[in-house]
Amino acid sequence: MLAAVSSATLLGVEGCPIRVEVHSGNGLPGFSIVGLPDATCREARDRVRAAVLSSGFKWPRHRVTVNLAPTSMRKAGSCLDLPIALAVLGADGQLDPALLEGVALFGELGLDGSLRRVAGVLPLVGACAEAAVVVPLACAAEAALQRRARVLAAVSLRQAALALDGQERWSEVPKPPPASGRESREDLSEVRGQPLGRLAVEVAAAGGHHLLLVGPPGAGKTMLARRLPGLLPALSREEALEVSRVHSAAGLGLPPGLLVLEPPFRAPHHSASMASLIGGGTTQIRPGEISCASHGVLFLDELAEFPPSVLDALRQPLEDGSLTVCRSRASVRLPADCLLVAAMNPCPCGGDGSPGGCRCSEAARSRYALKISGPLLDRFDLRVGVDRPDVGDLLAEGAGPGETTAVVAERVASARERARARGVGCNARIPGGLLDELAPIDQTARRLLELRLRQGRLSARGMHRVRRVARTLADLSGSDAAVSEEHVLAALALRSEPFASARGAA
Amino acid sequence: MSPDPPVAVGLGLNSRRLHDEDAAVSDEAAAIALAGLPGIGPASLSHLLAGAGGPSAAWEAVRSGRSGRPGKVADGTPSWQVAAARTDPQRCREAASERGIGVTWLGRPDYPLRLASDPFPPPVLFWRGDLAALSGRCVAVVGTRRCTPAGRRLAWELGADLASAGLCVVSGLALGIDGHAHLGACAAGPHGATVGVAASGVDVAYPRRHAALWERVVERGAVISETAPGGPAQRWRFPARNRIIAGSCELVVVVESHSGGGSLLTVEAALDRGVEVRAVPGPVHSSASEGTNQLLFEGAGPVRSAADVLDALGGLGAGRRPRSRPGIRQAGSAHTPAADSPAGHTPAGPEPATRVQAQDRQRAGGPTDRRSAEVLDALGWEPTSLNRVVVRSGLPVSQVIESLERLADHGSVAEERGWWQRIG
Repeated sequence: MLAAVSSATLLGVEGCPIRVEVHSGNGLPGFSIVGLPDATCREARDRVRAAVLSSGFKWPRHRVTVNLAPTSMRKAGSCLDLPIALAVLGADGQLDPALLEGVALFGELGLDGSLRRVAGVLPLVGACAEAAVVVPLACAAEAALQRRARVLAAVSLRQAALALDGQERWSEVPKPPPASGRESREDLSEVRGQPLGRLAVEVAAAGGHHLLLVGPPGAGKTMLARRLPGLLPALSREEALEVSRVHSAAGLGLPPGLLVLEPPFRAPHHSASMASLIGGGTTQIRPGEISCASHGVLFLDELAEFPPSVLDALRQPLEDGSLTVCRSRASVRLPADCLLVAAMNPCPCGGDGSPGGCRCSEAARSRYALKISGPLLDRFDLRVGVDRPDVGDLLAEGAGPGETTAVVAERVASARERARARGVGCNARIPGGLLDELAPIDQTARRLLELRLRQGRLSARGMHRVRRVARTLADLSGSDAAVSEEHVLAALALRSEPFASARGAA
Repeated sequence: MSPDPPVAVGLGLNSRRLHDEDAAVSDEAAAIALAGLPGIGPASLSHLLAGAGGPSAAWEAVRSGRSGRPGKVADGTPSWQVAAARTDPQRCREAASERGIGVTWLGRPDYPLRLASDPFPPPVLFWRGDLAALSGRCVAVVGTRRCTPAGRRLAWELGADLASAGLCVVSGLALGIDGHAHLGACAAGPHGATVGVAASGVDVAYPRRHAALWERVVERGAVISETAPGGPAQRWRFPARNRIIAGSCELVVVVESHSGGGSLLTVEAALDRGVEVRAVPGPVHSSASEGTNQLLFEGAGPVRSAADVLDALGGLGAGRRPRSRPGIRQAGSAHTPAADSPAGHTPAGPEPATRVQAQDRQRAGGPTDRRSAEVLDALGWEPTSLNRVVVRSGLPVSQVIESLERLADHGSVAEERGWWQRIG
């Protein structure tokens, strides 16, 4: 007999509909799965057999063939356990195959027949056209977020089979706990003696400008970076769904409310491989850290210690906001719309890098600087030196706690509102050709930029970036007028040349 | 000099060697070839020359194996006799004169007088440019490679002012202080000269990015070295080079030096020779002034400007004493330390001419508004990060940077890698 059931598998961060067909017929008793299953998928054979037997059903004494269509695509993961098991029961006549129509099924089986959660339920459910989906109770709430199909939850194979037949009830889908407001994390007011770093973080949040913090160990680079997500606006529902889908597909834990509502903060260690940062993998294309940080912050600490090939692979996604990972069998488009914040030391000795103040030779310093390729360095609209606060400066009068995250976040939100009114997502994404139209600058500011160009202290490309940052600074100050000299000067100061002696102009 | 018999061109190596064996090698050719022997240093070279009584006799002794390498032969290096058999002194000499390299040795009339009375004089001296520059009054301006913008500026001013006063500025052609002392001297009027003492061969620019500076120093004086042409800058050559600097001048000025820095070796060599050492005071917290401040503490005289150097030399009358940096005035449209910095440092001012005028303007007042004064107070005389200036002044970033840029245009502050410092 024949039975077929709908399911889906993950490809990158998207679900792909799969049809699971089971044929049970004459021949030597046996069980085979065809249709390019990967290792975890092939192991379903043993799990399904044990689960069927443990659940009080009989294992068919026939030759059982499972086909996963479309056959040209590689299937990954254990979410096909449940559809295979129920289709086997249907093919063997223990369950009416007609009951399996109109539902999509996902779930990993334990040997005792229990149903376990699977990664990526959000995109999986999103890919199915069926009116109802059967999912393990453990991820039912997550499936319900998609709001597309009726979610039927079960805790075991037996419950799923009997409930389809109407002999038992489905488990109740738990309501996700209400999303808590923004959790109180590290506050910006704790950062003292770093006005330049604070300004840089604020500008980065308001304009979506990538930020490079250069400073000695202990200067507070990580402290600043960690406070950046708190300044970003909360995610919209679409953004939240996209981020949650990526996190779900990457197998990351979702917050209690199940939707990722806050901008994510990802900080991979510098031993990260290309595939882990960009996305990829041989059998199953997994989203990388840059996709997981989408709509949030990707923080690369000790930038110079990352392999250069990995860093240079970041260049294209940073520019385009998305990337396409291609393998011979599939190519997958992944989101990469993140804010890159990187931190590094000014020189290998760990000193503050002041002229005449560190023990590094010119050659050692330029060798260190060359670890970051020019094009990548160019991607950073903001390059700011951060130094260890001077104790005397901290104790001086008037050095009380600075503005809190809430105050700055409000300014960031209104600056972003101004950018949106201009028709761009954020100022960092203003196309070079539209700068004169969207971010005009006044006469004195233009003269200043032209002078810098003539002096060779600024490249044509660097000028575009400076103009975008200057626009953000003007937005932050609440001005809608043309960008003035004051903002251009500050933008130039925020794009310093930390390795000037080793390199030419910006 | 002695006319060498013309070498038969195109006869091949063998016939040339035969020819060499017949004819005596000229002293000049022999001196170049001797200095190029593998692993030979000033001590062995002096020994060879003194023993044989002249370069060509010494070369004959080496070639015939009568004078071998004293001590053990290091692994891999051929013995002098083997090396000498492979070397054609005549060709060495031709190659040297093609590159405009002159050679002299101890005892010749053109050998610099002051070096000739040195306890460890360079036995053979190679030079490009005009060796006579060393026969005038010479002052060494030396210091660290890792200098601050203020140190760099002062080195340039000393170089320019001392050269304008008719002195020869001697230094080591290194990055940082040395290079800027040379640059200043090159920018001065026609009276002064500058001599660079190299650790590598005079045709091997080291560091490579100073290649253009070498050419300018050759034009305005000379580049000298005891290393044979083509020889690399080996580590041990630097302290040896420092003794030549110390031995060829009557006063050593150290502009900036870290504690234990290489310029302190020059100081030691100078003290051994009874050459006076003076140091430029720096901020007590500045790592780049640790060495110089220590020198001052130990009793070296301070140098604040070229006038102090001229005072120390005494012989130059007060009439020639520069009152207010005549070098820079005379330099006029010529060069500024930043504009033609060999290391490509970001120019602190817009254009050389503007900057000179700006300096005059500044001396006449400069930006005197309150904000500039506050920013200058917050800045101080040590390299200070922009962040710290903002903290100390309590002004918004945009105002601080505006003031700093304006002060930089006026030549009173300089920036390097995001660090700012008052320089005037």
